Amino acid sequence: MTDPRRGRRPGPGAVLWGSIALFAALFALLTYQLSIGADPSLSGSTASVTGPVQVRKVIKRRIVTTIVPTPGANSVSTGPATSSSYGASAEPVTTSAS
Amino acid sequence: MSEHDLTFDAMGSHVRLLIGEPGPEMAPASEAAERARRFIFEFDAALSRFKLDSELCALNEDPRERVPASPLLRRAVKAGLAAADRSGGLVDPTLLREIEGAGYVSSRAGMSGASLEEALAGAPPRKPARPDPEQGWRRFEVDDDAGEVVRPPGLGFDTGGTGKGLAADLLAASLRGYSRFIVDCGGDIRIGGADALVHPYEVFVEHPMTGERAHVVRLGSGGVATSGLNVRLWHGADGRFAHHLLDPASGEPAWTGLVGATALADTAVEAETLSKAALLSGPEGGRELLAERGGFLVHDNGRVELVGTLAAAPRIRLPGNLSLEGAQR
Repeated sequence: MTDPRRGRRPGPGAVLWGSIALFAALFALLTYQLSIGADPSLSGSTASVTGPVQVRKVIKRRIVTTIVPTPGANSVSTGPATSSSYGASAEPVTTSAS
Repeated sequence: MSEHDLTFDAMGSHVRLLIGEPGPEMAPASEAAERARRFIFEFDAALSRFKLDSELCALNEDPRERVPASPLLRRAVKAGLAAADRSGGLVDPTLLREIEGAGYVSSRAGMSGASLEEALAGAPPRKPARPDPEQGWRRFEVDDDAGEVVRPPGLGFDTGGTGKGLAADLLAASLRGYSRFIVDCGGDIRIGGADALVHPYEVFVEHPMTGERAHVVRLGSGGVATSGLNVRLWHGADGRFAHHLLDPASGEPAWTGLVGATALADTAVEAETLSKAALLSGPEGGRELLAERGGFLVHDNGRVELVGTLAAAPRIRLPGNLSLEGAQR
């Protein structure tokens, strides 16, 4: 006995063309969403852009200041000091006998 | 990742502060560094045995048994006594008369020392230092309720063995809210901050004979300190070489077979204590002392020995006489 429903299954050509059509439709939809700035992969993120994007250029800045103690300004004698601010430690810290 | 870097001379050494980003409602790093600098000078003014108007000198000259003392002096005395206790009496803060008798009566900051090689050639046979059988440090007490230091008059106290480490630890406590920081008081170093745990600092260890950087330790927290014979080495009145690390049993400079020791610990003052005790103990005892937390020993012949966790850490050879150790903690 043959199942009558098996005769109604689509042929391989129909499956192939149907798949291609579905892929093309989804691809077109995603392309459209991306083009208008609504990337679906970012839709779950809590971060939102509320203003114009700022492009910051990071400039490594080093400020060197020499502090010369003012005589009589402090009862504690202090020597000269160098001070600087920068992104990463320039001189490594060294442990040695002192 | 931005850090404020301040370097200056104090306590007979170089002091360096590296301070990262402040926490909420905290002062900028530059302000914290300046405050820390003032603290270091106040610390030195109160606790230096070379400043005749210091509170420490006043304590040592005071004929009373119970002497009123500031919280800072009491803290320093407690740190010295804790170091003596931790080292079984090897790091003895009561060897003031002995160190002065050996010729160390004024600061040697900036003075060129004698040759370590010559000193080693003329030094007596090596032997480990031993604690003073009389344990004079046990006769010191700190009475915080009365705000006094109690001791037999005439028994001097020298904060030199723990002072720099204590200063680093006290400053570290005040910098706790900053993202990362290093307090380096003449090589006695304290590291802290949450960001340092993620991005550890690299601390170079100087070889006492060559002055070169022999090793690199990556540290995210805690203390590291080095003791050595290469600085504060001089000719005594008797023509013999002398240095500042005394054998408590004899009161004479200790020649133990080691010229340097570096220790890691939770705090700078503990690291300072361990490094001094290790050097005084000689190779065998030093190895045992540093085994738990890790460290380096430098032998009389210049050989560097890695001990404890550092010996087990993976080593990456770098060009020249340099190696990189695995991150600690």
